Amino acid sequence: MDAADDGALSRRRVLELADEKGVYCGKLLADMGADVIKIERPGGDATRSIPPFWQDQPDQSLFFLYMNTSKRGLTLDITHPEGQVLFKKLARTADVIIETFPPGHLDALGLGYDTLHEANRRLVLTSITGFGQTGPRRGFASSDLVSSALGGAPYVTGVEEDPPVTLAGSQAHVAAALFAAVSSLIALYRSAVSGEGQHVDISVEEAIVSATHICGVGKWLDDGIIPRRRGTGLFASVPSGAYPCKDGLVYLMVNRPLHWKALAQWISEVTGNREVLNPTFEGPSSNRQPYRDLLDIYVCDLTSRLTVGEAYHEGQRRHLAFTPVNTAAAVAEDAHLAARGYFVDVEHPGNAMLRYPGAPYRHAETAWKIARHAPAVGEHNEEIYGRELGMTHETLRALAEDGVI
Amino acid sequence: MRATECDGGERTAQALDGVRVVEFSSAMAGPWIGRLMAHCGADVIRVESKKHPDVVRLYVPPRAPEMGTQPQLSPWFTDWNAGKRFVALDLSRPKAVELAKRLVGTCDVVIENYSAGVMEKLGLGYAALKQIKPDIIMLSTSGYGDSGPYRRYVTWGPNIEALAGLATLSGFPERECTMTQYAYPDVLSALHGLVAVMCALLHRSRTARGQYVNVSQYEATVAAFGHVLLEYLGNGREPRRPGTRSLHAAPHGCYRCKGEDAWCAITVSTDDEWKRFCAVAGRPQWRHDPGFATRAARLANADDLDKRIEEWTVERPAYDVMIALQEAGIAAGVVQNVEDQLRRDRQLAARGFFEKVPHLVKGEVIAAGIPLGLTGTPGRSGRAGAAVGQDNDAVFGELLGMSRQEIQDCIEAGAIETADGPHPTSIDRSKESSK
Repeated sequence: MDAADDGALSRRRVLELADEKGVYCGKLLADMGADVIKIERPGGDATRSIPPFWQDQPDQSLFFLYMNTSKRGLTLDITHPEGQVLFKKLARTADVIIETFPPGHLDALGLGYDTLHEANRRLVLTSITGFGQTGPRRGFASSDLVSSALGGAPYVTGVEEDPPVTLAGSQAHVAAALFAAVSSLIALYRSAVSGEGQHVDISVEEAIVSATHICGVGKWLDDGIIPRRRGTGLFASVPSGAYPCKDGLVYLMVNRPLHWKALAQWISEVTGNREVLNPTFEGPSSNRQPYRDLLDIYVCDLTSRLTVGEAYHEGQRRHLAFTPVNTAAAVAEDAHLAARGYFVDVEHPGNAMLRYPGAPYRHAETAWKIARHAPAVGEHNEEIYGRELGMTHETLRALAEDGVI
Repeated sequence: MRATECDGGERTAQALDGVRVVEFSSAMAGPWIGRLMAHCGADVIRVESKKHPDVVRLYVPPRAPEMGTQPQLSPWFTDWNAGKRFVALDLSRPKAVELAKRLVGTCDVVIENYSAGVMEKLGLGYAALKQIKPDIIMLSTSGYGDSGPYRRYVTWGPNIEALAGLATLSGFPERECTMTQYAYPDVLSALHGLVAVMCALLHRSRTARGQYVNVSQYEATVAAFGHVLLEYLGNGREPRRPGTRSLHAAPHGCYRCKGEDAWCAITVSTDDEWKRFCAVAGRPQWRHDPGFATRAARLANADDLDKRIEEWTVERPAYDVMIALQEAGIAAGVVQNVEDQLRRDRQLAARGFFEKVPHLVKGEVIAAGIPLGLTGTPGRSGRAGAAVGQDNDAVFGELLGMSRQEIQDCIEAGAIETADGPHPTSIDRSKESSK
């Protein structure tokens, strides 16, 4: 088997016409060996302008670089009739198409699911939108923050006395793209069995409601308490949260009765506190709920006498779930990640190397791999239009002049 | 009886029909993968033990704590385990391990998220399972992965939020540690884990080869915001916490509205949208104000901008702000809580997002849906609320073809744990208060 065949998704073709809502989906498939062709409007996608930039070079958006590893780059104006002809040609060769246009946009261009499916029955069309393809609010304008807000995430993030806040890095869009990758692969698996593809309809809002389910509807209907942002601890785990050490913060979570016992023992050893050994506090977290604030004080009394390193490693030696509250630098320099070879260096034009976060999973046979850096605008036009579709230089020049590619 | 047949209706084809999974799993990170697969039609069999109850089996009803431990009633048990089949094995007995191996022999995928090294110690590591079924796909998930100096460290989802840097990189500038209430790394590792399983299944359908797959929650979490980490890796700069601001759009944030803890998220991307925003807010003078007229100016004057916008929003109900702005084509959305989502959100209601899941004890429960969007082969949750060992007979009897006598012998030998005992399969409804 040659190198092009050794990925789990080798010889599967994906067309990606995606903004921030879908790029991570394409990346996941590309890094597992699929031939993901990123189709941008002529001149390049707006996501190339998302700051910050690598060493302040305005055409090197770090978001774009990260999200488009292993993909090939094509330019195409699908609103142009000749662009539509080309797109349909490519669509016939695709296993999956990922798109993030507003609902109905592709239909209006004559490029909707029914049309594409007729020409390619096994095609999986994965559409990612703020609110889905159907429903009274499908036409709502969306953004990561807005979809996340309706999906319930900021209401339960941060501390009680602050306004709602979201995680860094457009996580609503990332989560939706991750669901989209799961569904695309499931639909692809099915289409090999049945011969029929399908339209996958991903809503960012729904992805977030699902992602937040642990503090969602099930819990609320059960205990009548609306989950809300409440600081660093998790509502159901006592004690839990970020605690101050001599040189930073450490995170602790206690879920099991045995963990509480071990923690109480350690607190008592180090601080001399005897009250912490009171049997009232033993058992599941629900037993400790009424004493949460008191127990936080006891834990602080322990951690404030230790460095983060001591709390972390000695805590873990006692089988307690302590982890440091890490900065980006600490993650980049983490000994465990280094031992695992987690970060990978990717070559860029001009012999420049950039270190990237690595594989989210490790397959023993079909390893994740960054095959190439993110493509420049239209980098593979010649390769795909010229060599693969057999179009002549004159044709390509004319199409470029007309703004089709 | 297959879990997915419990609803009594016609079964339409599902995407993962014919795929069988066995789980040696706990909490959320492992089980949620199986839940999603069962939702798509896979036959997911979960191996449990009453001697080592999963955290969801230790649930005490918050509104009726006098009921004590109720292993079938946890809402998280529904969220993470609906639609599966359940067998009870004491894996400290060799006979039970033998049965577990026979079970693996009928499966396509094994999912496990026990503590590091436990599966190996039980004799159920990948090498052993590959002997039974050469093309088995085995997914093993843990906090730090199966190698490296800290691989035996204990973590839960929120620990990983802190460890992976998400807690430091997120939130308002003055907050050193911003946490979610939803154990986001569990979501990330489960979804990445399922991507990994599907890649392995697709590879197997081409090559007839299975494989072992390892997921580190730490690594799967970092992958989700790798672009944020790149500012350190590429520029040597610790990223600054953004709060709800954007580096390239303003206004961008959550604005206080009328009432208690009421907020509307608003994001304006272009100058055209800004003009329309000014019209909706009744502030035409802002269109030409040099402090606000261009995107660059708005970004530079974000503090002042946000203050003035809030003077407008704080007088109005959040839903009114949302509708008014959306009518002008501007992205705006109420910061909803769970009650809003279930009772007020028209889009979620129209799309039938919240699912009525059949429950063996409660009859029916409402749970968050599984938004996989497979319109051709829609997913569906099978029954929730099963007891430990609920499907012992069906799995050992029908699937493994054991006789009644063989099963009984295994029960007497303590290898198979019985489904009955101190955990009733029904409760006195007059005591039930959580409806």
